[in-house]
Amino acid sequence: MYSKYIAIFFVSACVVVISGQSYEDKRCKCVCPSPAAVFNNSATTSTDHRRHYIANVPPNKCNCKGVILPRDGAEITEEFCPRCECKYENRNTTIIKVVVIIVIWVIMLLVVYMGFLICLDPLINKRAKASYQEHTNEDDESTIAGPSQQMGARGNVLNRVTHQQDKWKRQVREQRRNIYDRHTMLN
Amino acid sequence: MDTLSVETSEKEALISDVGDAVIFSGMQGDDDIPGIGQYDDFHTIDWQRDIARDRMRHRYIVKKRQDSIWDLIKGAHDAWSGWVCVLLVGVCTGVVAGVIDIGASWMTDLKFGICPQAFWFNREQCCWSSNETTFDDGNCSQWLTWPQVFGESREGAGAYIISYLFYIVWALVFAALSASLVRMFAPYACGSGIPEIKTILSGFIIRGYLGKWTLIIKVVGLILSVSSGLSLGKEGPMVHIASCLGNILSYLFPKYGRNEAKKREILSAAAAAGVSVAFGAPIGGVLFSLEEVSYYFPLKTLWRSFFCALIAAFILRSINPFGNEHSVLFFVEYNKPWIFFELIPFVGLGIIGGCIATIFIKANIWWCRYRKYSKLGQYPVTEVLVVTLVTAVLSYPNPYTRMNTSQLIYLLFNQCGISNSDPLCDYDRNFTDVNSAIEKAAARPGVYNAIGLLFLALLLKLVMTVFTFGIKVPCGLFIPSLALGAIAGRIVGIGVEQLAFHYSKIWLFSGECQTGVDCITPGLYAMVGAAAVLGGVTRMTVSLVVIMFELTGGVRYIVPLMAAAMASKWVGDALGRQGIYDAHIALNGYPFLDSKDEFQHTSLAADVMQPKRNETLAVITQDSMTVDDVETLLKETEHNGYPVVVSKESQYLVGFVLRRDLNLAIGNII
Repeated sequence: MYSKYIAIFFVSACVVVISGQSYEDKRCKCVCPSPAAVFNNSATTSTDHRRHYIANVPPNKCNCKGVILPRDGAEITEEFCPRCECKYENRNTTIIKVVVIIVIWVIMLLVVYMGFLICLDPLINKRAKASYQEHTNEDDESTIAGPSQQMGARGNVLNRVTHQQDKWKRQVREQRRNIYDRHTMLN
Repeated sequence: MDTLSVETSEKEALISDVGDAVIFSGMQGDDDIPGIGQYDDFHTIDWQRDIARDRMRHRYIVKKRQDSIWDLIKGAHDAWSGWVCVLLVGVCTGVVAGVIDIGASWMTDLKFGICPQAFWFNREQCCWSSNETTFDDGNCSQWLTWPQVFGESREGAGAYIISYLFYIVWALVFAALSASLVRMFAPYACGSGIPEIKTILSGFIIRGYLGKWTLIIKVVGLILSVSSGLSLGKEGPMVHIASCLGNILSYLFPKYGRNEAKKREILSAAAAAGVSVAFGAPIGGVLFSLEEVSYYFPLKTLWRSFFCALIAAFILRSINPFGNEHSVLFFVEYNKPWIFFELIPFVGLGIIGGCIATIFIKANIWWCRYRKYSKLGQYPVTEVLVVTLVTAVLSYPNPYTRMNTSQLIYLLFNQCGISNSDPLCDYDRNFTDVNSAIEKAAARPGVYNAIGLLFLALLLKLVMTVFTFGIKVPCGLFIPSLALGAIAGRIVGIGVEQLAFHYSKIWLFSGECQTGVDCITPGLYAMVGAAAVLGGVTRMTVSLVVIMFELTGGVRYIVPLMAAAMASKWVGDALGRQGIYDAHIALNGYPFLDSKDEFQHTSLAADVMQPKRNETLAVITQDSMTVDDVETLLKETEHNGYPVVVSKESQYLVGFVLRRDLNLAIGNII
């Protein structure tokens, strides 16, 4: 549980640190057929050699006149313009960056926790089980009657976390039995 | 303790049918005993009782409102809490959908290459402001494909092999991660979730199905499994994710968190929000919730769903995950007319769609049943890996299956314009006269090659989806069925288009197509085909048409879509009775009473039921039982609930009490 907050802190720290690179958030993208295909009256090369023009202009100038003519004026004349498609697009690079980094972090955390549960947890539990054998039975019964009062009396944070974790593990085990062993759900 | 006075007052509070007799005492009763009003795992809820409880709570608040200013505020908070709750659900659903969209599109492109300057960009974003005037199929110099990372050239046999290997390895890594996270942390996160949501909304309790861990794992697992290139979509799981959010957020408002029947109102709204963000179709989402998933849908819930779907779509739209000002990748804008004759191919597409859907449902159910009862079910992770490996190996050689399925749908829906350089648009067009409209044209070999590849893609997708839907990762089937239909539709569309080009003199096309204007749009056929297959698989009609026309932004195509959806539903219903979700509910044996089923029997329950003569009926009498009696009754019988009668002699029914509530009440006295 706490690791999640630490992770969020780390992510925000990372985001603050890596904010150098400048990528534009707005663009005007135009696509035209190649001038050769149009002027030579040959249908041979109609699919290849499309031209992409990307420029950073205000939305009202996002058209052939504003983008293509200044760049390729020699080759492309104004009457060519109706053949071009221009589209104004925008995006938010910060959101993309933050989201992707958070996703990577969450996946890594989950994988680490999974590794912990698979490798280390059985070892710890084996040692603990030897001394708490009879206690577990009693605990099982008390969960039905009212676990909250008992835990409140003990009051230890660590205990409560372990208790919550045990409860969660029991639930997951039950779910696993339903799905993978008995096949009663989600087939 | 013996007189049971406490017990009876408790019991009365529980008995919904006599709600008027216990005006406000129920309120205190609810607060005193923790757990009253909740249900055990895999039990069904008592709608009448929960609604009566809510009515009592409401009357209590209304009565208290006059007492003090604080109670007045509490009353006001109670009145608006439903709207606040769906607002929060909408906001969270929009944000989570944005995270999934961005994460999945980045991770999908990770299979092909990386953007070294800013690793968090996918290919499209990486080449966002590239200055090169020509670049083929979206690769620019900033974007490095894997062969380039290892110093190879971009083209050539070696590069192809490296790309192929990386594609397979990444797909396997993503699928393995997804499957093992699901298995380790939240097994309930697998599958599409819509059959289960339907069951839950009809009043069944599955503990943990809408919990925190299910939510987290479903989101992460969905990103991973979509990126692995498996033949699955994120739309169905989005409904599950939204419902999880609805469930979690409803605990902030005791009115909904403590009352299962009321909670289902929030869940209905959340399901609407899920579809709303999945397709960018708010109204379609509301109708989907109404037509397909919801069970109890009062008018108040309709308005809340509307609001929730609106908020969710708005939030996702402002995140703008695809950079195209829309919340789905395959949004297309159409404004071309269709001619009356085309209704015949559209209905034909509906029939084809119904057939494809029936084949899919039958095969998928057969495979899932085989998995359930054979040894295959014992190897869930291995199964995922094998399916992924086969999908990846077979998908890569064909460019139409190699690309992301959403992109494929976008490509198929699109009409051939200037900007489309795919072989699918390899027409013999004349670009010389700049000011004329795009004319109809003969297809060149590129189109026929593309049709061949698309046909292979259709077969591959159909077979792979049969095996994919039901493996133990988060997976939905809206996108695969849309893709299947779009491929079939596009092929038919090109056929009709070429027919119109070569035989433009025959009377069918005579009116509209003679002038040389491009009169048949294959993209429209793809759209209609997609609607037909999806309609056949899920048996949706109204919501499907609305979703499709919200996707395309064209009201003009409602009639073709309706015709195809209807034809597909008829064919589907004739060939196989159930839609895929109902079939999965039946396969899993969930206690789902379908409201669409007709009532066939005329006999009364009293005539059919035969009480065993020698056994006495286990009943609780109204006011003459001791705690001891009740405890013995609970020990000796195993029923889930007991009828409450006036006395043993005159067994007039007063109400009904659940075993769980009796246990809780007795535990509370002692």
